[in-house]
Amino acid sequence: METYQFDFQAMGCPCELRLAAVDRSLANEVARICSSETQRFESKYSRYRTDSVTSQVNNASGRHPVTIDPEVAAILDYSGVCYVQSNGLFDITSGVLRQLWNKNMRRLPTDSELDFYLEKVGWKKIEMSSNEVFLPIKGMQLDFGGVVKEYVADVLAAKARSMGIEHGLINLGGDICIIGSQPDGTPWSIGVTHPTESNCAIAVIELSEGAVTTSGGYERYFDIDGVRYSHLINPETGWPVEGLLSASVAAPTSIVAGSLTSIALLKTPEDGIRFLEECATPYFAVDQQLGCHGNLGDIRYA
Amino acid sequence: MAKPNPFLALSSAAMALPAFAAPQPVETIVAIKATTYQEEDVPQRDVLAGSDERYKIDIGQFRLLTPVGEKWSLGVDVAYETMSGASPWGTIMGADGEASLIMSGATIRDKRTEVSLTATHHGESRSISVGLTSSDEDDYEARAVAISGEWEMNNKLSTLSLGVSYSNDDIEPTDALSFGRVQREEKKSRSLSAGWAQVLNKNSVLHVGLDVTDHDGYLSDPYKLRDVRPDEKLEWALSLKYRRYFDNQNAALHLDYRYYDDDWGINSHTFHTGWHQNFGDNVRVVPNVRYYSQNEADFYRGTDDFGLATSVNQSSDFRLSGYGAYTMGVKLIYSALQWDVSLSLDRYISDKSYGHDASDQSHPALLSFNMTSVGLNFRF
Amino acid sequence: MKVKLVTSLCVVSLLSLAACETVQPWERGTLAKPEMQLSEGLNSPLYQQVYDSKEASSGGSGAAGAGCGCN
Repeated sequence: METYQFDFQAMGCPCELRLAAVDRSLANEVARICSSETQRFESKYSRYRTDSVTSQVNNASGRHPVTIDPEVAAILDYSGVCYVQSNGLFDITSGVLRQLWNKNMRRLPTDSELDFYLEKVGWKKIEMSSNEVFLPIKGMQLDFGGVVKEYVADVLAAKARSMGIEHGLINLGGDICIIGSQPDGTPWSIGVTHPTESNCAIAVIELSEGAVTTSGGYERYFDIDGVRYSHLINPETGWPVEGLLSASVAAPTSIVAGSLTSIALLKTPEDGIRFLEECATPYFAVDQQLGCHGNLGDIRYA
Repeated sequence: MAKPNPFLALSSAAMALPAFAAPQPVETIVAIKATTYQEEDVPQRDVLAGSDERYKIDIGQFRLLTPVGEKWSLGVDVAYETMSGASPWGTIMGADGEASLIMSGATIRDKRTEVSLTATHHGESRSISVGLTSSDEDDYEARAVAISGEWEMNNKLSTLSLGVSYSNDDIEPTDALSFGRVQREEKKSRSLSAGWAQVLNKNSVLHVGLDVTDHDGYLSDPYKLRDVRPDEKLEWALSLKYRRYFDNQNAALHLDYRYYDDDWGINSHTFHTGWHQNFGDNVRVVPNVRYYSQNEADFYRGTDDFGLATSVNQSSDFRLSGYGAYTMGVKLIYSALQWDVSLSLDRYISDKSYGHDASDQSHPALLSFNMTSVGLNFRF
Repeated sequence: MKVKLVTSLCVVSLLSLAACETVQPWERGTLAKPEMQLSEGLNSPLYQQVYDSKEASSGGSGAAGAGCGCN
């Protein structure tokens, strides 16, 4: 049995499938189906596609409700649980604040600019039923970026398993879902990128089942007046978060691993570590002083 | 109260997502139950003739509920019951001025077998069931068909249920010629039921139900010396069920009420309440109380009047008299992941004085019994 | 008297319905517990059969079944 690797670009990140199969044509077929399933999710949920459900809902903000199917409703419900469990920090309506915090802005936003956008932020403002969602304030926007990619990793792993693949993994830009151990039974070695030295691994995590997500608080940063700001915005203050440099969480499913990682990065470093400890699931985190925390993985270089 | 671990909260929420959700229903359930009860003997002084031994009844139940494919499920129910004992043939005035019973003689041993098959189709937020039931005894045969549906609404917070059923029963009393009983009679029953279940908040739910049934045919008791009932009966029942969970006590309260009314002049109230107390993850103890009260039927008589024409309605059956009854019970359940076992003990006592509208005379056949039941459920 | 009692019961039920809150999917765990169900397994048909054969009333449990020889 050989392990075949397939790389493609989707959802704004590099994606990788490692599928072990006796028959190369089975691996090709699985890869093809995984790729088209990823495209389906991207077309449906990307806010950059004009015909996506997200765009339909966003364009109807302040005007009328939009009918949604059970899959969208379930993803919205899950996002609601994330909102509650993060005490309001994980909020899929907070994307509009990126208008104020991005590479093109050369200055800090004014208070009135912050108020203008904060008015359009707030999970609790969403009105939804089992088959409809309505954003009551014009300009409100949903952004599934923190939920769908992680969910797709689970979907692809389940799909591969259902087609007979027993060994392999799905890696969607850092969201890794394991189909099964390597063909010889050994676990997969997953490197955690060093937060500041991008071609080194700060730690290596070995897993043969479940999922692990690694995310960096300053992965996409920008500088204003010599100060580095994270791309993660606190939806209550409207300001970027000053949190952990990196967090990795292992969990049975990729969506849960991804959500816990995202929530940890939205908090201050102390609160983030405390949150990860409270979850009682393996994690690895790097604070602003490059201090390493957690019981997941082996530290290689710090 | 401990704050839920975020990891656990997210994990259970994730289970609702399509990629992880299994088609319903997921598991196969097998349940068996064995029950026995003995009606207490009639006091000697109340028996004029015949045996004073009331019924001893043993019941065995079996149920299988299994998914078939992704959208269907099949249910099979089998119940087997054996009854032995004497039953009242008539009530007449004794020498002491009190009503006395004429009981049947040596024990009657009767067996009843009931088999039921139900097929259910599960949709996104509705399910439809069709069921066939067949019940057989030495002297009785019943065949029934039922169709019902359930619709979930309001984000699955409300459920509407509707059902219709039709039953055709045949009775061929034993020893009909020897005792001058009717030889073969028929009864048809049609029933409509409607129910609404409403989630009130995350800890409580309320159910309201209405059942209406019409019986047509031979409705009298052929084993009584003189029992003449109308050949039609229209009855309805309104029921309320309330369930409320108490976080701090880790227990749930059940409150049930039923109001019954029919065109034979009988109305009744039934209250049932139970406290479901959990001890840890595996044990549940349920003390419960039932109170029942009915008034008498229009044509009820405390004693039989053999002088009346046989076309005139009359019955001295204690089940048509005005009386009340209490049941006090406790149930113990031990649950493991894939199975659970239960033991129930109930004591039933009835008396004219417990009723809200008692008959003038206390019927000597009002009974009491102790019931013991053991059950086992498997899930896989 | 009968009519008044029934009417007041219906009103109570409707009032409860009007007072309900929205329960989010992640809050529904309690409602799924076995001790919160409206009926539990083989109990319903058992007690229904036992009481219907000894009392004049029937119904109220929603389940329609075949008769037994207990006229």
